Amino acid sequence: MWEALEQVGWIKTLGSTGWMYVTVSVAHYLGIFWCVGSVALVDLRVMGLAAKKRNAGELAKQLFPWAWIAFTLAIISGFLMFATDAGDWAPSRVFHVKLALIATSVVFALIVQREVPKWSQSPEIPKAAKIIALISLVLWIITILSASEIPALEGLG
Amino acid sequence: MHDIVVAFAKWCEATPWGVMTRESIWAYPVVQLTHFTGLSLWLGTNFALDLRLLGIGNRKATPAQVAQDLFVWNWIGFAIVLTGGFMLFSGIATAFIENIAFQWKLGMFVPLALLWHIFVQRKARVWGQTIDAPGIAKLAALTEILLWLSVITAAVEIPNH
Repeated sequence: MWEALEQVGWIKTLGSTGWMYVTVSVAHYLGIFWCVGSVALVDLRVMGLAAKKRNAGELAKQLFPWAWIAFTLAIISGFLMFATDAGDWAPSRVFHVKLALIATSVVFALIVQREVPKWSQSPEIPKAAKIIALISLVLWIITILSASEIPALEGLG
Repeated sequence: MHDIVVAFAKWCEATPWGVMTRESIWAYPVVQLTHFTGLSLWLGTNFALDLRLLGIGNRKATPAQVAQDLFVWNWIGFAIVLTGGFMLFSGIATAFIENIAFQWKLGMFVPLALLWHIFVQRKARVWGQTIDAPGIAKLAALTEILLWLSVITAAVEIPNH
């Protein structure tokens, strides 16, 4: 099935045309850095380490929309790159781990996004909130690590 | 000039971190992670300011406030980028210096983007006093975004050369 995806006309073209593939790669990296950077800043604010003068809820309102736009960019570009070599990517264990980590990171990001208006209303951000934000931050970093491990462990990408 | 660069590259490759990045199967992904984590903070804060100057998205805080709020982590991010980047470079420095995409990246786009960023960040204090930044500020912000996209493109092209 995955080999069939690789053979689809426009996917084949994408995979074999230099400038097209570079564009998709750039979009993927841009999406990742921009998404993780945005969420990380909110997490750091909740932890009391960044932008201390700024209300956490307001900072989240400014940054989260961009985080999700960037995330969408990363998912779409990621899928396109996956598709060009789907036969090799689909069975990759480390790739599965990466996908699971992405899903988990998204869940925690959503928790932060949903709870931060409440958290920023108390005079001091609750301790539990800081722990959740820390976990969110660490999860994204581990997700990036899993992506870096794929070429090292499996020779892909 | 080229001799000096080659000598420097050889020196980098011989350093403990150069050797480790090149030879250790577990170290390389961690070094790359360092570079990427730094880039998330660095580019995330850069784009947050640029987009605010462009006036797209939430506009509660002025661009000047955004610049100030994100200043510390912007440069912490850069320090992490530099650390990871220098370690990556040291792994196979003699190959990097001969790579045309790397030459464009570090020789032109990074210096240009970096200087432009410093300019925008400082000017944001003046331009960004009001909720709506002047036209020139928007142009400068857009230019910064394009410059960093050029850096990413050059980086992506490195393995292709």
